[in-house]
Amino acid sequence: MGYSFFFFLSSGLFLGWSLGASDASNVFGTAVGTKMIRFRTAAITASVFVIIGAVYAGSGTSKTLGELGSINALAGAFMVAFASALTIFLMVKASLPVSTSHAIVGGIIGWNIYSGKPTDVAVFSKIVSTWILCPILAGIIAVILYLIIKLVLRKSKIHLIALDYYTRTGLILAGAFGAYALGANNIANVMGVFVDSSPLHGFNWKNIIELNSTQVLFLIGGISIALGIITYSQKVIKTVGNDLMAMSPIIALIVVIAQALVLFIFSSTDLRDFLVSLSLPEIPLVPVSSTQAVIGAIMGIGIAKGGKGIKWSVVGRIAIGWVLTPTFAALSCFILLFFLENVFNQVVFLP
Amino acid sequence: MFDIKLSIFSKNKSLEKKIDLFHDKLIDVTMIFKKAIKIFLTEKRSEDYKKLSKQIKQIEHDADILRREIENDLYTKNLIPDLRGDVLQLVENLDRVVNRFDEVTYKFYIEQPDIPSEYHIRLSELCSQVSECVENMVIASRSFFRNTSAVRDYAQKVYFIENETDISSGKLKEALFDSPLALANKLQINALVSAVADIADIAEDCIDELLIFVIKRDV
Repeated sequence: MGYSFFFFLSSGLFLGWSLGASDASNVFGTAVGTKMIRFRTAAITASVFVIIGAVYAGSGTSKTLGELGSINALAGAFMVAFASALTIFLMVKASLPVSTSHAIVGGIIGWNIYSGKPTDVAVFSKIVSTWILCPILAGIIAVILYLIIKLVLRKSKIHLIALDYYTRTGLILAGAFGAYALGANNIANVMGVFVDSSPLHGFNWKNIIELNSTQVLFLIGGISIALGIITYSQKVIKTVGNDLMAMSPIIALIVVIAQALVLFIFSSTDLRDFLVSLSLPEIPLVPVSSTQAVIGAIMGIGIAKGGKGIKWSVVGRIAIGWVLTPTFAALSCFILLFFLENVFNQVVFLP
Repeated sequence: MFDIKLSIFSKNKSLEKKIDLFHDKLIDVTMIFKKAIKIFLTEKRSEDYKKLSKQIKQIEHDADILRREIENDLYTKNLIPDLRGDVLQLVENLDRVVNRFDEVTYKFYIEQPDIPSEYHIRLSELCSQVSECVENMVIASRSFFRNTSAVRDYAQKVYFIENETDISSGKLKEALFDSPLALANKLQINALVSAVADIADIAEDCIDELLIFVIKRDV
């Protein structure tokens, strides 16, 4: 394994860094933005749990991306991640809602088309349906939580000072869970495309910590997400965190829990297996957008409060993102793969 | 770790207790004020009035100490900043009411106004209305900490009673200036009536802010 591996991995690491920088605000944005929790506490908690989530529970969503397209050459994986990162950059510049999950799927399809490998339509439609389901499910969970918490608060008459303490503690715990779910669900976006071409080996430390080669890859990806959280998320929280979630601390807590639960549901192999054992339908393990889960949760609470919950302009922009992001990522990936193969003489796929 | 948790719980409990005690002080001051003015109207600056005036002064002093302790606790107990600011503002507003009760009682004590008996019932009624207004404000404020949905009901009562005090004080002033009393006497009583009625205005201001705090905490 040479330095070239780390060079090719750099696009994935950059994706991880930008994911940490932007999506940490969905987990701790309100808490930090309104000074309920210090940034340092939030960043350390989020970093630790995002890595645990990525290493321990990241395999489920990666497997699904692998079923969509098994990228078998390192240079090809580099370009898929690079095209996704480029798409995200350009979409952000154009002020369009963008998700790493959508971009990477587009990138993989671009690689499939370029390498002449078929795209499994069943897997693709499973992924797309999950994208649509994600904000809806987040909204439903948020409404249920909202109604339960409202009822409990009305019945229990907890003193505001005690409630404040519980809210604050809840925000830290929910934030930790949210970071874990983010790592578990979104690590596939960052490192998933490198799984099949990675030359990394497993790691064993005195039989206490044992990681297989994929987990080592996810550990590196998790660290890149953590670096994004530590180095840049504060800036993102300061600029956009409060706009999206100008709400009371308890509503903020509900939104974070709903979002974390959705990401957890779509990434937990244990939960999927448990539901299957009960003869319930299988949950697809797919990387989803945490931002869209947050938007869904906020809209759900808006409806439960009797206000105008659904902002159709926001829904429209999300739908545009669903179409535009993967399309652009696929197109740019295809073009860039052509350059990488023909100009730089790199092997971008194995027959 | 368990000790830390217990200590946080007990600190929170002590803060809750102090806030409750602060509200108790307000209820006490309204009761004593009502009684003090009634005594003043019949006995003027008697020993009984002096005693009640001193009690109000003591409550004002105790409330100040409690307010400082609450403020200190709010900033050292890691509360959510937004709530901390609101509770701080609320406690300061309530303290203004206590201070005003003390000022008015002292004003009666120092100035010893000569109030003709035909105005006694009206002034006594005005003082009762002001006390009732503040009592409802205190209940609203207490509800803010335990049952925010009840705040609006008591707020409505405060608004209604405050309006009544405006009408009562207006009528009293009208009757006063229509009377053959000396102008100096009229002006002195007028200022005292205004000072009493002002307490209800402060209570109304407190409620205005309290309702905003409730909206901010609305789940």
